[in-house]
Amino acid sequence: MSLLYGMITGILFGILLQRAHVLRYDKQVGALRIMDMTIVKFMLSAIVVASIGIYCFKDLGLIDLSMKGTSIGAQVVGGGLFGIGWGLLGYCPGTAAGALGEGRFDGFWGILGMLCGGALYAALYPLMETHIISVGKYGKIGLPQITGVNHWIIILLLALGSVFLFRFFEKKHL
Amino acid sequence: MRKTSWNPYLSGALAGILLALSVLVGGHFFGASTTFPRVASVIEQAVGIDTSKVVYFTTKDGKYGPSSLPNWQLLFVVGIIAGAFAASTLSGDFKLQVVPDMWRERFGPSRLKRAVIAFLGGAVALFGARLAGG
Repeated sequence: MSLLYGMITGILFGILLQRAHVLRYDKQVGALRIMDMTIVKFMLSAIVVASIGIYCFKDLGLIDLSMKGTSIGAQVVGGGLFGIGWGLLGYCPGTAAGALGEGRFDGFWGILGMLCGGALYAALYPLMETHIISVGKYGKIGLPQITGVNHWIIILLLALGSVFLFRFFEKKHL
Repeated sequence: MRKTSWNPYLSGALAGILLALSVLVGGHFFGASTTFPRVASVIEQAVGIDTSKVVYFTTKDGKYGPSSLPNWQLLFVVGIIAGAFAASTLSGDFKLQVVPDMWRERFGPSRLKRAVIAFLGGAVALFGARLAGG
């Protein structure tokens, strides 16, 4: 059942990504070059709506959230490497797959590279664990825990910030 | 479906609803990057490498090892390819392209150059994503 859900969810997500034209090198690198913010509009809209939905479900007791642990070392180094790789490839892991589905064959080379990157990470994992992941470990914390304010205030700020940014994008035709 | 694109705010909001429902119904957040080391472990096993010697593939009860597949996320990634293929074919967007337009303008039409950089970029991005836990 879980496999079927995965397939159906993936198909629907793939349709949305394709129809919003975000599976394109030109759009992804366009956002990194601050020339075309289509993917930022897509991502932030998804994050705001999903945050509201997920925290509604949580407050209703329908789901439990299990947060990922924070490690400053892993997230700064990992995020930096991800940014370099994303800029070179022009797709993130999920969109590389979608780009291939849309006929963008460079996504295939990206996927091959990702398989090698995954194998390399697995091989170097013990080294990463000792030297990078162990740096600045804070456990399972989120913005509501750090700031001590209700999660709905964070979500409201996130939504307001997004709307403000969207208005700026539209005004500048980005 | 016409060749024009959907509004990014609306498509993004729909993706957000899809994500929230996915968490509610199956308990699954969206992600793709973990699938790559998992598939790599299956390939390594297939070519005769003993994956039980690789710590990463055995940690957390083999969560990242060959026995973790098939799982929700693998099918999610396969679904994205299928969904993008279907939507692009129906809308007339599907186009075989090896070198993206913006790349060609800046770096020229070489397919090899694009393939090498795409491969390297993919490797670095995925390594970073796994390290950051994303």
